[in-house]
Amino acid sequence: MTDSAVLQPDLQQPPWQVDRFIVSTALAGFALLGGLIWLETAPFMVVLFVVGTVLGMALYHGAFGFTAGWRNLVVKKRGAGMRAQLLLFAVSSLIMVPMLHSGQAGLVGAVAPVGTSLVVGSFLFGIGMQLGGGCGSGTLFTVGAGNIRMVVTLVFFIAGAVLGSIHLPWWLDQPGFDPVPLVNSFGVTGAILVQFIGLGLVAWWVNRIERKAHGSIERDELLWKSQGHGVLRTLVSGRWPFTWAILILAAGNALTLAIGGAPWSITFAFNVWGAKALEVVGVNMAQFEFWTWDYPAMALKDSVLTNIPSVMNFGLLLGAMLAAGLANRFNEASRNRPEGRQFLAAVVGGLLLGYGARLGFGCNIGALFSGIASASLHAWIWFACAFAGSLIGIRLRPWFRLPN
Amino acid sequence: MNKAYSRTRIVVMLGVILALIMADHLGSPTFAFNSGQGNVETALMQRDETACAPCGAPCPSTRD
Repeated sequence: MTDSAVLQPDLQQPPWQVDRFIVSTALAGFALLGGLIWLETAPFMVVLFVVGTVLGMALYHGAFGFTAGWRNLVVKKRGAGMRAQLLLFAVSSLIMVPMLHSGQAGLVGAVAPVGTSLVVGSFLFGIGMQLGGGCGSGTLFTVGAGNIRMVVTLVFFIAGAVLGSIHLPWWLDQPGFDPVPLVNSFGVTGAILVQFIGLGLVAWWVNRIERKAHGSIERDELLWKSQGHGVLRTLVSGRWPFTWAILILAAGNALTLAIGGAPWSITFAFNVWGAKALEVVGVNMAQFEFWTWDYPAMALKDSVLTNIPSVMNFGLLLGAMLAAGLANRFNEASRNRPEGRQFLAAVVGGLLLGYGARLGFGCNIGALFSGIASASLHAWIWFACAFAGSLIGIRLRPWFRLPN
Repeated sequence: MNKAYSRTRIVVMLGVILALIMADHLGSPTFAFNSGQGNVETALMQRDETACAPCGAPCPSTRD
């Protein structure tokens, strides 16, 4: 009882234990970094740091993993995780597409070119998701929660992202065309409706798989109430029903757009961190075309504290750490030490994730979630190709001694 | 329940990350600007609205 405090003993429920060391360390890190951002940048960056922290908590407490949701559908034929993602996309689309086209200056959607780079990148990313054990957000929040194997995935994610940035100009020269915002063809309401039809069709396909395998559908994604605990305890220590996570994630992405001017993205920061590390050891990144483009060049030259994806990622890591401490589950996933091939999967998966994210213009957050919330065609192609890659990754998992 | 982590390792890891962030920031134009140096170009709102992708990539149609 030295490390944990019993907050609410109850005869009906197991006592609520908090890992006080992890919680206080996460809060200290939050205060220190938040103070630094406040002193050195601008108030809007502090707000984005807080938004990132809340998103990290939502991802952890909601167990909102894209990777596991896809794998559950393929392996266990259960679709609740997948339907939760589709609901998230629908809610965000409803909020953010009108925001982006409200005429307010300075808002830019997550749109990207459609072509070879996108198809290859998202396909590789899908394989990497299943081998690495997470997508962009999944990797970050599990690292924040103390998962050692995911630290390896993150390191190689960063390495793959930098390699992808060096190769991206070549891939962009392969067949492809400019971004296709659905709003240009269908208008704001039409684009939302087209996306709802698309999401509905995917949901119908998911339901069909689940019903065929089990005879009925588990509607976990529609649960509002926590299982077994009161609202306050569930809010603080998890696990959140999917609906809570969906609302927080959708609101978080919309806030990011309103405050930062662009939707939520994660993996660009990995590029910046990796490129900065290479510059420290003497590599001149300006020799690579990617790092001469305006945005990457600005981000590389200035402090990470002025780069929105980096600041939000720092918040996300600390938010997940705080949530894991409140749930008394920090480092829980690393109790059984991963063996050699599992680490190899993290290395290979991480490289594929990073390389794929750069070629595919982002991860499940930047390309898929924010892309659909911006009504961009590239997000749908990303979804299809990453899912196809994920099928291969799932088949490869047993060789790496990863459970399916 | 035995903890699955070492407290020292956690503190050291977070300290290293904070030190890296500080080292990067202290050498940045933003820190120079905040310290009163003129003639530095900072990029607090890093955006290239002419870019074709969130990472700043140009449009395929504009490439040679």
